[in-house]
Amino acid sequence: MQKLLSTSEQQTEELAERLAQTLKGNEIIAMFGGMGVGKTAFTRGLARGLGITDGVASPTFALVHEYEGKYMLYHFDMYRINSYDDLYSTGFFDYQDNGVMVVEWSENIEPFLPKDRINVTIRRVSDNEREIMIEGAEIQ
Amino acid sequence: MIILAIDTSASPVSAAVLRDGCLVGEFFLNTKTTHSQTLMPMVESILSLSGIGLSDIDVFAVNAGPGSFTGVRIGVASIKGMTLAQEKPCAAVSTLAAMAYGLPYTNGIVCAVMDARCSQVYNALFRLKNGSAERLTEDRALSIEELSAELLSYAGEEIYLAGDGAELCFQNFAGKVPGIVMTPMNIRYQHAYGTARAAERLIEENRLCSSDELMPVYLRVPQAERERLARQQQTT
Repeated sequence: MQKLLSTSEQQTEELAERLAQTLKGNEIIAMFGGMGVGKTAFTRGLARGLGITDGVASPTFALVHEYEGKYMLYHFDMYRINSYDDLYSTGFFDYQDNGVMVVEWSENIEPFLPKDRINVTIRRVSDNEREIMIEGAEIQ
Repeated sequence: MIILAIDTSASPVSAAVLRDGCLVGEFFLNTKTTHSQTLMPMVESILSLSGIGLSDIDVFAVNAGPGSFTGVRIGVASIKGMTLAQEKPCAAVSTLAAMAYGLPYTNGIVCAVMDARCSQVYNALFRLKNGSAERLTEDRALSIEELSAELLSYAGEEIYLAGDGAELCFQNFAGKVPGIVMTPMNIRYQHAYGTARAAERLIEENRLCSSDELMPVYLRVPQAERERLARQQQTT
């Protein structure tokens, strides 16, 4: 497990961009952390690391946004998803193994995620500081 | 009697035409492309290459589930559209039955399994005998462990694994369930030919439905939900 400290939104994005360099193309990245800790900023950095130039926005309403880059990137938001049936009807399982999946609010669906995955937990330290814990991958 | 059958219920996609029990043509793809891009060109080619018009088709058959959420919807919506326009009946086939009907060349048990994730599978068991497939269980969702325990009661018979959950089960069953046979790749997954064969059975039994009545069939996965609640209780 890797524990990193970010002191700005920009730094959070840069850490994610470095994580993107370690990906092979079919990973699930489960994101944990409450409102406003920088999950979408992290995803924006990941997308940039995969060469995606489209703007990344939170998929709270659409549930999933798709981006085409070095690999397909599927950005999920599970804020309103609470059961297996809900998850199934987002098409979540259909996306598995077809690209990189980033899952915000993984707290809500953790039992349904495969064990083989990357966990990214972001914790608020102060207004500008975040502790970022990465399990299942190592950034250089 | 001409049947057009399609399958988009999981990763592969296929279309087949059966005329009076004879396979006129079949098209099967197993790529990562989206079914919404491959299905209709496949149907169009198979009809034009076999010289059959859409209006010549008597019954439209589809694997209506279980399967992937999006896949099942693509198949069902396509057949709904075609039968609405043609005013023809539909055969809503179980994906698991289509697997069994795709391989009644031998005697034994067919264990049709699709990976429902979270260590759960969609499954039904069939007995193959004298070229036909008899259903032994309903379509259901259960854990791989439950399935493996249930299969012990068929000891002494060969159990043929089919479907995209076959490999997962084969690994899990090793040393636990006797008589397990992996079906070869060309007949392992659901094929539209099996869908058409299963549709023949529905025609015999007078169980066709209208375009309006055709619906996707989703199975509930109760154990996945139970496990989630149990974990939730542990953490609170």
